[in-house]
Amino acid sequence: MAAHAHAVGEHEHEHHGPPAAHQSSRVDPAVLGMLLFIISEIMIFGAFFTAYFFIRVVNHDPWPGPGFDLPKNIAAFNTCILVSSSFTIHFAQEALKKDNRLGLKVGMVCTFLLGLTFLFIQINEYWHLGIAAHETAQASIFYGLTGLHGAHVTIGLMLLAFVTIRSFRGHYSSGGYLGMEVPGIYWHFVDVMWIVVFFSVYII
Amino acid sequence: MLNPLRSEAEAFRALVYVLVLFAVLIAAVLVIQAL
Repeated sequence: MAAHAHAVGEHEHEHHGPPAAHQSSRVDPAVLGMLLFIISEIMIFGAFFTAYFFIRVVNHDPWPGPGFDLPKNIAAFNTCILVSSSFTIHFAQEALKKDNRLGLKVGMVCTFLLGLTFLFIQINEYWHLGIAAHETAQASIFYGLTGLHGAHVTIGLMLLAFVTIRSFRGHYSSGGYLGMEVPGIYWHFVDVMWIVVFFSVYII
Repeated sequence: MLNPLRSEAEAFRALVYVLVLFAVLIAAVLVIQAL
């Protein structure tokens, strides 16, 4: 009895919380998590692109529709800003790998400000478009698609803010920077999605 | 093989490839529209 109680006590001492999660021996858990996340993101964007291509290809509706003129030049400028932010975050990460903390901080601040500028210009574009989302199918899809992307930029900016603050607090090193690498991958994904959105909505 | 989910550096490389591809596509579309 005493031995049993001792064994139970020892067992309780050894294990706390839920059992260890099962994981694949072939795929790294972090990569698998990111893969599933990106796949789910592509499906969300895919739903919006389906609506967009449905009215253009199946319905043959004019794009962008009556009373609705898309500011291509401003969007192209905004694309350059967002793409630049990917270059600056890559610069920040490369600087960190060389233990260049000033480069990390400058790169992260530039990335955050470029992302913020992109979002500000996007909101300003909405403000001056002169059409509401409920007025036409084209307007609904335009606001839906670009708004979905804008929501992703907003989330990305939050992550960038965390990384920027942490880099100023002395976090990350050339030996450990996963907390910066994952938001970096996400930010590049957001950029890739914008390039596709820009091409679909503003160019073709 | 390039895996953009493995690291930030690879994701950046994938972004550059996509950028180049779409730059060519955009240029082609603009030329066709201008003709």
